[in-house]
Amino acid sequence: MRTDCIIYTILGLLLIALLLGSGCTQTPAATGPSEIKIGVVASLTGPASTTGKDIWQSAELAADEINARGGVPVRELGRSLPIRLIPGDDESTREGGMKAVTKLITQDQVSVLVGGYSSAVVSAHQSIVADNKVPYIISGASSSAVSRRTDLDTSYMFFHRPNTDDSAEASIRFLTEVFRPAINAKFGFSGDRKLRVAVIYQDSPFGKGQLDAVKALIPAKNLPIEIVAEEPFKMGESDFRTVLTSVKSKNPDVIYAVTFLNELVPMTQQARRDVGLNTVIMAIENNDDPDYYSGVGVYGEGMIMESRFSPYAVPAGSTEAATRKFLSDFDKKYGGFAGMMGAATYESVYVAAAAIEQAGSLDRAKIRDALATIRVPQMMEIMKNGTIAFSPEFRESKFDLYVVQLAMDQKSGEPRPVIVWPESLKAGEFSIPDWYTPGSP
Amino acid sequence: MDGGIAVLGQVAFWGLYSGCIYILLATGLNLIFGVMKVVNFAHGEFLMLGTYITFFFFVISGFNPYLLLFLSIPILIGAGIIVERLCFRPILGTGKLNEIFISLGLIYIFQNGVAMVFTDEWRSMKSPFADLTIGIGPIQLPLDYIIIVVITAIILVGLSVFLDRTTTGKAIRASSQNRRGAMLMGINVERMDMLTFGIGAGLAGAAGTLWAVSGQVFSPYMGSVPAIKGFAIIILGGLGSIPGAIIGGLAIGMVENFTAFFLGGSWKDAISFILLIVVLLVRPTGLFGEAGE
Repeated sequence: MRTDCIIYTILGLLLIALLLGSGCTQTPAATGPSEIKIGVVASLTGPASTTGKDIWQSAELAADEINARGGVPVRELGRSLPIRLIPGDDESTREGGMKAVTKLITQDQVSVLVGGYSSAVVSAHQSIVADNKVPYIISGASSSAVSRRTDLDTSYMFFHRPNTDDSAEASIRFLTEVFRPAINAKFGFSGDRKLRVAVIYQDSPFGKGQLDAVKALIPAKNLPIEIVAEEPFKMGESDFRTVLTSVKSKNPDVIYAVTFLNELVPMTQQARRDVGLNTVIMAIENNDDPDYYSGVGVYGEGMIMESRFSPYAVPAGSTEAATRKFLSDFDKKYGGFAGMMGAATYESVYVAAAAIEQAGSLDRAKIRDALATIRVPQMMEIMKNGTIAFSPEFRESKFDLYVVQLAMDQKSGEPRPVIVWPESLKAGEFSIPDWYTPGSP
Repeated sequence: MDGGIAVLGQVAFWGLYSGCIYILLATGLNLIFGVMKVVNFAHGEFLMLGTYITFFFFVISGFNPYLLLFLSIPILIGAGIIVERLCFRPILGTGKLNEIFISLGLIYIFQNGVAMVFTDEWRSMKSPFADLTIGIGPIQLPLDYIIIVVITAIILVGLSVFLDRTTTGKAIRASSQNRRGAMLMGINVERMDMLTFGIGAGLAGAAGTLWAVSGQVFSPYMGSVPAIKGFAIIILGGLGSIPGAIIGGLAIGMVENFTAFFLGGSWKDAISFILLIVVLLVRPTGLFGEAGE
C-alpha cells in the first residue's frame, strides 16, 4: 500500500514536470503564427486549367524565392516568417470559385489572397471577400465592371492588371496608328476610308467589357473605325465556324477577338483553314502564352496581339533582366515557359510580401492599408512610372502595354511574337501578311 | 463568298457537320436506353475517350487519323462492355437514382484518369487533308467535313444493316421492344445489354475520332456538354427511336448553327433546349417516340 503511494506520487510529480516542461518549450511558438498563409485562387481544373496551372506554379516560384531569402519580416512578431501558399481551385466556374475562396478565408485563415483569372468567376466571389475583409491582389479579371462595381465594398481588392479600357485603348491605338495606314498604303485605299473591325467576343463580363470599351473609344476619340460585326460566343466554345462565316460575310479588315486561350486557338485555325477568312485577328493579352503558340501552329502566322508579358518577346530595357531570370527559373523548375497570368501572379506574391512587411503585421486591415499606399519597383511587366502602385479610386495598377505580331519560327515550327508597337519598345516592323485580304473598299 | 445563299449554304453545311457528331452520340445513347432503359450521363466521356485514343495513336503512329476509327471504335466497344459489366449490370432495375450516381461517378473517374495521363491541357490535331477544300457552286467545303459526313452515313447504314439483317441485331431489337418476351424466346438479354452498351460506346468513340480529326480542341472535361445535347436529342427524337436520334441530331445541329448565324453564338446552346421544350409541348413522346417509353 505504502509502496503504491510512493509510486503514484513519483508518477504524479513526473507528469507535472512533463507538463510544465512541455509548456516551457511550447511557449515561444504559442506567441504567434509560424508562417504566412497566402491563398492562391486559380483554375486548377476545368476549361481554364492551362492558365490556372501557370498561376499556381508562378506563385510557388515567387514564394520559394522569398522563403529562400529568409521569409518576410513581420515587425509585430519581431521575426521573419516563411510564406505558405494554399491553392484554391475555382474549377473554372463561378460556384467553384465561391467554394474555394470561402475555404481559403474561413478554414485556412489566409492573410492575403492572390490570383483570380476569369472576370465572371471573380465577380461571383467578390462578395465573400468583401464580407470577410480579406486583402485580395487580383491578377486577372480585367473587366472594368469587376474592379469598378459599386454594389459591394471592393476596398480590400487590388487589381494588378490593365482593365478592359486600358487594353482596348492600346489595341485600338495600334489599329489606328499602324494597321490602318499600312492597309491603306498597300491596297491604295483613300485616307478617309474607315477601318472595318469585326468584334468576336466571349459572352461574359470580360468580353462585354472589351466590347463596351472599344465602342466607347471610337466616338470619344473620333477614330476612323467602323464596327461591322459584333458576334458573341459562349465561354468555352470550340466551334466558331458559323460565327466566322457570319463575320466573313461582313467583309472586315480585322477581327478583334476577345477570347480565352482555349477559344483563340480553334478560332484562328477555323478562320484560316475552314472558313477561308484571310483576315488578321487581333487578340488580347491573356493569350500571350506558350500554349497559344504551340496550339495555333502555322495558322497564327501574321496575327497580332496586345500584350504586357510575352514568354518569347522580352522588351529591351529595365525589365529585361528580371524577365529573363523569371523565365529561366520557371523553365528550370517546371520545364517550359510561363505566360502572362503567371508573371502577374508571381509579381502579386511579391507585392503581398512587401505589403505584409510594410504593415509589420498579419492583421488583414493593416495589410489592406499597406497595399493602398505601397510602391514596389516594377519587376517584369512594364509599369507606368516604373512602379507597381494601386490607383486611389479603384485600386488598379497601370501598365505600359505593347503589341506583338506573330512570325513563323522554322526551328520550332511554331509562330513567335515580335514587338511591333509602340516605337519605344518595338523590335521589328509590322507587316501585312501575304495571305491577307482586306474588307470591302 | 458571293451572295446570301452561299453564306446560308455554308452555315447549313456546318450544321450538317455538327449534326453528324450529335447523331453518332445520340444514336448510341438511344440504343442503350432502348434495350437497357439505363440513363448514362457519362456517355459524353466515351466521346472524350475517343478523341484521346485517336490523338494518342496519331502521335505515336502517324497513321491517317481516319484509319484510327478502326482502333477507337473497337477499344470503346471494349470499354463499354467493361463499364456495363462492372458498373451498370449490378444495379440494373434498382432505381434510376443509382444509375444517375454511377454515371456521375464514371464522369469523374474518366475525366480525372485522362487528365492524369494526358494532363488537362486543351489539345488538337491536324488532319492530313486540313488544307484541302472542294468547291460546290459558290461554297468552298473543307474536304475533312465532307469525309466526316460520308463516314457518319456509312456507320449509320452499317448499324441499320446490323440491326435489321443479322440474328444478333434482331435479338437486340427484340430486347428493346419487349425485354421479358425476348427472354421467353430464349434470347440472352444480359448478353444483348452488354453488346448494346458496347456498340453505344463505340459510336461515341467514332464521334470522338471525327471530332478530333475536324480540328476541334479537346480536353478531359469536354464530354459533358455534348452528352447533355445528346440527351436533349433523344428526348426530342423520341426515347429508344434510332430514326428519332438521327432526325433529332440533324435538327439540333442545323438549328444551333442557324441560330448562331442569325442571333449570335450566345444562343447556340439555349436554342437546343427551347426547341426541345416546344417539341415536347406539341408531342410529349418526342418526334418518333411511342407512348409508354
